[in-house]
Amino acid sequence: MTEKKNNKKKILLIEDEKDMAYAVTLQLEAKGYEVISAFDGKDGLDKARMKKPDLIILDLMLPKIDGYKICRMLKFDSKYQHIPIILFTARAQELDKKIGKDVGADFYITKPFEPSALLDKIRELLALS
Amino acid sequence: MQAEHKDIAYRYKLLVYLMDNIPDAIYFKDKKGKLVLVNQTHAKGLGMKPEEAIGKTDFDLFTKNAAERMVKDDKHVIETGKPMIDKIERATRPDGVDNYVSTTKIPMHDDKGNVIGLAGITRDITKRMQFERLEKEKARIEKRLEVLEVTNKVKSDFISTVSHELRTPLAIIKQLIVLISEEAAGPINNKQKEVIKKVEDNIERLKKLIDDLLDMSRIERNKLELNYSLVNFYDLFKDSEGFYKKLAEEKGINLRYLLPSKDINLFIDADRINQVIANLINNAIKFTEEGGKISVEVKILEAKIRVGIIDTGIGIAKSDLPQLFNRFVQVSNTGGTGKKGIGLGLSIVKELVKRHGGEIWAESELGAGSKFYFTLPRFYRPDVLNEGIKNKIDSYLSKGISLQFINLIIVNYKEFKKRIKVNPGKLFEDLKAIMDTTFKGVYKDNLKDFPMIFTNKKDGKCSIIFPKSTDRKNASIIYLFKDKIKKYFMDHKVESAFINIGILPCPAKVNLPVTRRFHAKFSVKEVYVGLEMRRFERVLYKTKVKAFLPKNKVETMQTIDISEGGICFIAKKPLKTDSNINIMLEFDKAKEPVVHAMARVAWIKKIELLSGESINKYKVGVEFINLKSKYRKIISRELKS
Repeated sequence: MTEKKNNKKKILLIEDEKDMAYAVTLQLEAKGYEVISAFDGKDGLDKARMKKPDLIILDLMLPKIDGYKICRMLKFDSKYQHIPIILFTARAQELDKKIGKDVGADFYITKPFEPSALLDKIRELLALS
Repeated sequence: MQAEHKDIAYRYKLLVYLMDNIPDAIYFKDKKGKLVLVNQTHAKGLGMKPEEAIGKTDFDLFTKNAAERMVKDDKHVIETGKPMIDKIERATRPDGVDNYVSTTKIPMHDDKGNVIGLAGITRDITKRMQFERLEKEKARIEKRLEVLEVTNKVKSDFISTVSHELRTPLAIIKQLIVLISEEAAGPINNKQKEVIKKVEDNIERLKKLIDDLLDMSRIERNKLELNYSLVNFYDLFKDSEGFYKKLAEEKGINLRYLLPSKDINLFIDADRINQVIANLINNAIKFTEEGGKISVEVKILEAKIRVGIIDTGIGIAKSDLPQLFNRFVQVSNTGGTGKKGIGLGLSIVKELVKRHGGEIWAESELGAGSKFYFTLPRFYRPDVLNEGIKNKIDSYLSKGISLQFINLIIVNYKEFKKRIKVNPGKLFEDLKAIMDTTFKGVYKDNLKDFPMIFTNKKDGKCSIIFPKSTDRKNASIIYLFKDKIKKYFMDHKVESAFINIGILPCPAKVNLPVTRRFHAKFSVKEVYVGLEMRRFERVLYKTKVKAFLPKNKVETMQTIDISEGGICFIAKKPLKTDSNINIMLEFDKAKEPVVHAMARVAWIKKIELLSGESINKYKVGVEFINLKSKYRKIISRELKS
């Protein structure tokens, strides 16, 4: 048996709205996840590569590198392809076309969203991987 | 000499001819402004004979103001010896007609070069001026319309941007509140919970308003897109039944669902139709008092599904009904307080139903409850797999190979076949080729045995099976299929037959009895090409139909189309949904020209008024009840001829 802390699933949250990041982080932590935050696209991509998270929550509109690009870069790289990505967006209609086409994200959720919907999806994707 | 004389006489004749027939006024004046000669046109305009005008001055013929103006011009021409050409002015003729004229005055000289008078010609250019003015006005209006259009677009874009921007802080607030309500930020007491609940309710309200604004701007910008899939209508209602029952119960209202036991598959955007249903049920709950009843009923009509939301609430005034579905309309006599909104809900609902190819209407009276109905076209769906394909799939799965299966289904294929111009053999060859090249374009590596493509010309199905790969590859294959197939049907000009194309977002259920033992997985995606189902062929047929209404009223109406199942006609009054009426259908040519039948009002559509029209008209669909076979035969014979 390893330490309890090591059993915690790591979630990388890439979101530039700091208050949103704060709220989601607290919720995830309350459910027993370990949360790593990144507030811009570049930092997010670096952390995705270095910290090996179990799951990534990714906002689309990000400074420096946008969410689409990050998603593509990770999903096209065999080293990171397996990490489930949940896209976060306020623009639902504009998004779904892109999803089928080239982004390859596992799921997307539109803002505002039900907190439970996000938690359910996280649980489901982590169970699969 | 003779010849010269003759020549002068001939020239004179020509001049007189011109003077007498030209529609312009021609006149000669001496130095003092007295008329020396006028032509017929000018005399007529002055209201006298040509010889009567001779010797008269402008002061004798026109008003003082006009005469002074003319004399001033005359003087200028005579004194300077320079002509005045094409001067445009308003003039009131002696007969009172107001018009525009263009005048040219040329000085006349004697042999020594002294000015002895002038010759003038005045042309009526009223028509030309009117035309020019109209053209100018038209250009001005067009310009204004252009500006309006731009403004409108700016406004729509602005609303869209604002709504999106509003969503971000709203989303954050929602997440922050959850931290408190779910006690992730520490425990709270019951009173605080109560407060938080109210905050959450109001966040929901705000979210709904923003969503409506967004939808409206999407509709205005033609950006509203529907994501079609084949949906079990029964499940759609069952999913939300608990939620609404609880909501109604809290207000002391009895909410019942009357759903048909039969499975109904509809080709719709489930989220959007949910939105329609939610809107109507929420309204019903909002406007029904404690102790009232609401029923949600689904009826299967000939070619449509009809949903009715019927309440015993406060109702709507008859005069408000026609505007009910218009944008920004807030019905006035809604009683209770706090029941406000921005008047977008029903207009969005109407647009969503319309986009699905359905109708929406309402029946109500103040104090007598409201009935809201909408229809959706029905679709027929063939079985997904046949035995042969099932066995093949089984054999691969038992070898541990996971498969992806994509099914292209043409719903209501029988009808579709009639309308598409390509013969079925060629159609399926083409579809097969599209599937094959799309697949090979994505899966560059050569796979033995794959893709397997099956076509079923009889039922309108085409299926492709290949080993399961990454989700991304699968997603792009489906996307490309959809795109290419859509293009194919567009290229073959089947817009009229081609209604929708969509993907079943979640795997379809397939009964594969044997394979449970294996670890290999089998997933199914479906692409649909849709066409509205009709049990009976409807034929455009214009004739008279009489309806015998209660209180011995008879109304004669004009049919639009007729089938063996029912009639569609134009009525001046909205008939009551589900009411039974006796009708008499007249066929002029048949031997027995009259069909008597009982019919039930199935659906109603208000016809949009054109500008200038003020009388409301309704398109009404009725379905026959127990039509006698002799009448059925008459109709079928008539429609064939």
